[in-house]
Amino acid sequence: MAGNLTRYSYWQLRDFIRERGYALLITSTLLGFTLVMPLRAMYGANMSVDSAKQILMLALPQVVPIAAFITLNGLVSTDRKLGYYKFLFSKPVSIPAYYAQYFIVCLVGFLLTFALLFGVFAFVVRPVNPIGALTYCALVYLSLGGIGFLISSLFRYDWPILAGVYLGSALLNQLWGMSEGWRHWVTNLLPPLHELSPALKSIMTTGSADTKSIVWLLGYSAIFFVAGLIVLWKRPIG
Amino acid sequence: MIELKNTTKIYRSLFGRSVKAVENFSLQIAEGEVFGIAGPNGAGKSTLISLLLGYLRPTSGSVQIRGLDPRAFVEKNGIGYLSELMTINPNWKTVDALTRFATLADVAPHDVPERVNVVIEELGIGEHRDKKIKALSKGNLQRVGVAQALLRDEEVLILDEPTHGLDPVWTQRFRTIVEGLRRPGRTILLASHNLDELQRLADRVAIIDHGRLQRLVTTGYDRTTDTGGTYRFSIASGSDRVKEMFPEAERSGDDEFELTFSSIADLNSALGRMIAGGVLVAGVVPSRSVLEQQFREAVGEEN
Repeated sequence: MAGNLTRYSYWQLRDFIRERGYALLITSTLLGFTLVMPLRAMYGANMSVDSAKQILMLALPQVVPIAAFITLNGLVSTDRKLGYYKFLFSKPVSIPAYYAQYFIVCLVGFLLTFALLFGVFAFVVRPVNPIGALTYCALVYLSLGGIGFLISSLFRYDWPILAGVYLGSALLNQLWGMSEGWRHWVTNLLPPLHELSPALKSIMTTGSADTKSIVWLLGYSAIFFVAGLIVLWKRPIG
Repeated sequence: MIELKNTTKIYRSLFGRSVKAVENFSLQIAEGEVFGIAGPNGAGKSTLISLLLGYLRPTSGSVQIRGLDPRAFVEKNGIGYLSELMTINPNWKTVDALTRFATLADVAPHDVPERVNVVIEELGIGEHRDKKIKALSKGNLQRVGVAQALLRDEEVLILDEPTHGLDPVWTQRFRTIVEGLRRPGRTILLASHNLDELQRLADRVAIIDHGRLQRLVTTGYDRTTDTGGTYRFSIASGSDRVKEMFPEAERSGDDEFELTFSSIADLNSALGRMIAGGVLVAGVVPSRSVLEQQFREAVGEEN
């Protein structure tokens, strides 16, 4: 990666914090509190580590995908929509490389935000080793990220499409997940979000996850991410 | 250096409607040249510039900069570009915006602060360096735009409506800056509605309308294309004698006349006759510049 672009990652991280980080922190805190506080009250003051993990396992699937949606929304499309690309890409910069780097910077920012939130959790509920929870966060971001990146590369108004894909796949997996025939194939083609819950359980309890599930989740996402890069490479941004 | 060969760009909507923004456009711009693009609104200037930056791809024909596809050229070398619309994130501070652009432009890390200070000084935006972009006036924003285009010693500069929103003092200063930027090997492309500006700064000007190259005008005096023109004479004394000598002269003010000549030689001979006849001439200026005349002929009076 070119030196100028690597140095620019500092500014991309600042953009993440100002444009997404605060929103992410506020939304996740509010959501987290509404889910965690009643459970904290239920378990009482002398809560065990396992009980705290149980609370996290209940809260994370509700909070993390929404946070990932907030992070991924407008990743590429905002610059196109508002015309910011005009000044950025008159400089010696590869457009796909710029957005690939921003995708990674957003992952780092996303994980830093959740590390902070787990700090709050440790203070309010009780300390839990955050590695498993952060691994789950990274897995959610990367699983949703590929298709989010492609949609943002293709469309200026990406968030309704992204929301439609997320909700549609969650709904169809719920309805047709156990079906046979063509319905089975349709659910197989959709983002494998239903794989995330078993992965969370496994990561939080055993510290590892089913390799097949992880490969499916990340492989599926990687295909769409590469497709997004090809779109940025082949299709003019203007 | 910059070459467009039979370039056509057609915009197609989802519903099948198509608009030809640029049509069969061929042009060569040399290294070391200051080249102007003039045309009425919607003539295709912005599309042409987007093609040169690789933000759009031609529907047919080709665009090349130094033998490379525009995007490949930009990614390798960068272009000093000022967009007509100042699309800089409004929440960035002026100094941060310039530092970001300097970083992306691959200015050496230890030179970035100095280079940013130099362009801030050159464009007189020192007092606005810590203001957010959204707090700047139109003229100051335009100066930030010019500043970011000058951050690196680029070989290609594309400035779209560079003096738009600038006051007369800064318009004049900008012209001095552009004159200072001229050097062998550097190509400067100026797109402007201001024909006077193009006449002063550019070596040649492409007049475009309806996406087509209508005329290519050399702005300096060119013996081979000398067709004379209409000139305005300011007379210090002897106005009555002018009317006697040139009955066809049209009075355009108390002591001003307009006369049309078929060549520069005719103009000089008339001037000689006036002086010999005791007329004191205070000034002679073209009523319309060569470019303005050509522009009106090419795109019509309504523009």
